Amino acid sequence: MQSKLSDIDLIKQTLAGNQAAYADLIKRHQRFVFTLAMRFTKSREDAEEVAQDCFIKAYRSLDTFKQESKFSTWLYRIVYTTAMTSLRKKRVDTSSIDDEETYIQVENVSSGFDTNDVENKSRSFYLNQAIEQLTADDATIITLFYKGEQSLEEIAQTLGIEANSVKVKLFRARQRLKEKLERNLKHEVKELI
Amino acid sequence: MNSIEEKLWSYIDGTCTADERAAIDLLLVENETYQQTYLELLALNREIAGMELEEPSMAFTYKVMENIRAEHARQPLKTHINNNIIKVIGGFFIITITTMLIMVLASINWSVAGQVSVPTVKMPDFSGIMNSGVFKGFMFFDVVLLLFVVDGFVRKRVLYKQS
Repeated sequence: MQSKLSDIDLIKQTLAGNQAAYADLIKRHQRFVFTLAMRFTKSREDAEEVAQDCFIKAYRSLDTFKQESKFSTWLYRIVYTTAMTSLRKKRVDTSSIDDEETYIQVENVSSGFDTNDVENKSRSFYLNQAIEQLTADDATIITLFYKGEQSLEEIAQTLGIEANSVKVKLFRARQRLKEKLERNLKHEVKELI
Repeated sequence: MNSIEEKLWSYIDGTCTADERAAIDLLLVENETYQQTYLELLALNREIAGMELEEPSMAFTYKVMENIRAEHARQPLKTHINNNIIKVIGGFFIITITTMLIMVLASINWSVAGQVSVPTVKMPDFSGIMNSGVFKGFMFFDVVLLLFVVDGFVRKRVLYKQS
């Protein structure tokens, strides 16, 4: 069962030497951090490694957290930089957050699909499939906005860019997601959305 | 240039101004393209908002905490030492040494200080040794040894560069 204390209270307890408080903090944020790591690595094993690394890094520098922003914003910044570093190490091609025009074109994995299969699969399956086909930056910005409870300003802080740029990038990311969904589902997308 | 979709996303996200909102409200009533696009985007927005987060393995928290505990155990002793304790010990020794120095200086009879005579020390004569064959042989051995060490060092660097 997770603690009802705020993130700040748990941080204070952790800094006072209570490691169980940090375990509560991990439980609270692990799903989102893991999902964010998945957006970059596209593999559960690698994502778990990156997510673990993030929580260890956050623990090490917990005393430098100034409480000027939300803990989640600070933590997601660590996730973003750690995941980007991990990607570079693995030499996986990914477009830069600043490069809007170049994004990986993933081939339509379900071309020639059976209509009956489409009916049997859930909506979330197709949505997740389309998100997986997006670039890491597009998938991250969508995840931060919809699931991270982050405002445009907080996302800007996490990604180290201007809030206006976040707005534009979010719009383009959603456009690409819509295109992927349309491509994957062809006619069925009309029923989905 | 703001496309219909861009305007509608701002409307859905609530990031447009009051004037823009009023204009879009009007368009949604009058314009069929706006109405249709709005409904599509609204449905997509609902789908994205409802997507499930990924779940890490059951032992995720345990693994992180184990790593943190292991890191703590590996930390060198100096990181566990309280700096205040070091300062107190240092202060104690400084005070003790200063006190002893003051006591010693205070106990000296300065009026007889000029009468103290320093004993002379007789140094051995090395001039004979420096010119002997033994010394030259010793120096030759040292030079050979130095060349041997330099050769080994250069070989290692070459091998490192090649690898």
